[in-house]
Amino acid sequence: MDDQGCPRCKTTKYRNPSLKLMVNVCGHTLCENCVEMLFVRGSGNCVQCDTPLRKSNFRMQLFEDPTVDKEVEIRKKVMKIYNKREFDFPSLREYNDYLEQVEDIVYNLTNNIDVENTKLRMEQYQKENKDIIQRNKAKLTREQEELEELFLLEQQSNEQRRLEVLQEEQRQLQAKRKNKQALLDELEQSQLPATVLLAKHKVRAAQLETEIEQQKQNVKPTSIFSTGIQIRQNVSLQPLPRIEEVLYHYKPLQIETYGPPVPELEHLGRFGYLNHVRAAMPQDTAGGYTSALACYRAIQDAFSGLFPPKG
Amino acid sequence: MFHNSSQKKYWTFKSEDEVEQMRVSANEKFCKRVLETAKPVVSASVLLERYGEEVLFRHYERRMLEFCNAFKPAMPKSVVGTALMYFRRFYLNNSIMEHHPRIIMLTCAYLSCKVDEFNVSSTQFVGNLVQETPAGQERVLEQILEYELLLIQQLNFHLVVHNPYRPMEGLLIDLKTRYPMLENPESLRKSADDFLTQAVMTDAGLLFSPSQIALTAVLNSASRAGINMESYLTECLKLKEDKETLTKMYDSMRRMKTLLKKYEPPNLEEVIVFKQKLEWIHAQLASSSNKRKRGYEEDGHVAKEPRLAAEVRQYSRIFLAFFFFILKVLVRS
Repeated sequence: MDDQGCPRCKTTKYRNPSLKLMVNVCGHTLCENCVEMLFVRGSGNCVQCDTPLRKSNFRMQLFEDPTVDKEVEIRKKVMKIYNKREFDFPSLREYNDYLEQVEDIVYNLTNNIDVENTKLRMEQYQKENKDIIQRNKAKLTREQEELEELFLLEQQSNEQRRLEVLQEEQRQLQAKRKNKQALLDELEQSQLPATVLLAKHKVRAAQLETEIEQQKQNVKPTSIFSTGIQIRQNVSLQPLPRIEEVLYHYKPLQIETYGPPVPELEHLGRFGYLNHVRAAMPQDTAGGYTSALACYRAIQDAFSGLFPPKG
Repeated sequence: MFHNSSQKKYWTFKSEDEVEQMRVSANEKFCKRVLETAKPVVSASVLLERYGEEVLFRHYERRMLEFCNAFKPAMPKSVVGTALMYFRRFYLNNSIMEHHPRIIMLTCAYLSCKVDEFNVSSTQFVGNLVQETPAGQERVLEQILEYELLLIQQLNFHLVVHNPYRPMEGLLIDLKTRYPMLENPESLRKSADDFLTQAVMTDAGLLFSPSQIALTAVLNSASRAGINMESYLTECLKLKEDKETLTKMYDSMRRMKTLLKKYEPPNLEEVIVFKQKLEWIHAQLASSSNKRKRGYEEDGHVAKEPRLAAEVRQYSRIFLAFFFFILKVLVRS
């Protein structure tokens, strides 16, 4: 965050990490104070590149690199005009060409290459495709509205579910309380001995518990998946393309040791090597050490590089 | 493992001549550099020749071995072997005149303790230098820490050294398991150990793999005891068909034995003479070069200056702005 300072006042950024940077259309940053300072005197020129600016052109910086911010702004403006979609094009190739055109334009505008020509191109495109642009704009707004509606619906159903669960809990609590109260009343008024009353109360409490359990099991079956597809609706899927490739075969790694072959760690005991190594004490084996490890290492070192290299 | 280690790739050479050539070129490079800086006192005759360097190297190597053997707590053999190998590798590419072997030898031992996970604190380490006062030990420790990075750099950061001690254990285990003709391989252990101790003072570690050195040690001690172990090579190591490898192995074993025989401990008077020369050279060179930290010589300037200047600029700008603001206020009123 501190690697770039405000180009005007320099110190303030280091001393005040909460100070925000603002970026303008030419891609240079200024901290909030400097922006106000600059426009207090009525002159509106960028410090580094001297382009005339307006105070409204300053936006809060989102990215660390101001050029990225500048590009993001330019891209938003360009995409408002160049808003065709994939199905507007007859083939993938043409869609890709179109996308490349858009990227060229954004790149040119960001790096100030050939700005005049690019702007001319944009205007031309706008004139030619005015109706398509309008249509796509309308579609976009419609889609956004639909998404918002879905979102609202989801939120509402969540709310409802929450309320229901709360109510259920309340009811259960009340039932329990009533049960207890009934027991107390009976103890007061009835003639039967206390143990019988207690037994009856226990039975009732058990019954209540099982009722609650059963209710919990009764989950309300839903009729719709979260993506909007109805359950039990046959959705036709395209068969997945099968990709056939050569199967992978594991080949163990071969390393040239320039020496005689070393027996495997597991076979050392069988060959009798371990009889000549100090046996591992209980303290050693606790940590996972075995005498085979030391033996293996010694044998490896003894055989590594023993033979002179060929040639 | 040794077969894919940096030791095999970068620090195992084909012949003794190659190794000797590297040392000669290190010496020549240093001499050329010193003579080019054109200090009038230092002339070609004053500098150490290859023979002198060799004598001093062997002398300091023995000193290091004694230091490691007298070390408290007892240093494991692999740590000693690693330290000696570092010493040897360092002076393959550097001249003795450039860095004094006394500091390098202590730095090698220190680094080897760290690398081999033989935990010694630095104060404990210099506490083993019994002839120094505690203040002297502190100074030595500082020097060691200065030279440590240089040492690691000159070792090309290849710090793992494979010593022949574990291969020897492995060979003895294998002999006991698969070679019943030899009744008591343990009897070979002592003289094989001696062979290895002698071998570590030669260039054997730079020319042969540690398992070959271990095998030579075992075979040598067997032949000294009068036992013929050729059948071990042909039967157990399955070299009966592979005559070429067998002859090559015998060849390298012969070379190794020659190396050990050629080693002679340094002559004391020669050592004194060369040591005097060395001290004189070091005194001359130390006075000329200013005391920069060893190993940090490449990035001499630290990046402190630019930041200071920037801060000064910031503050001056703030002052100026404040000043003009006051001025404006005054002018308006």
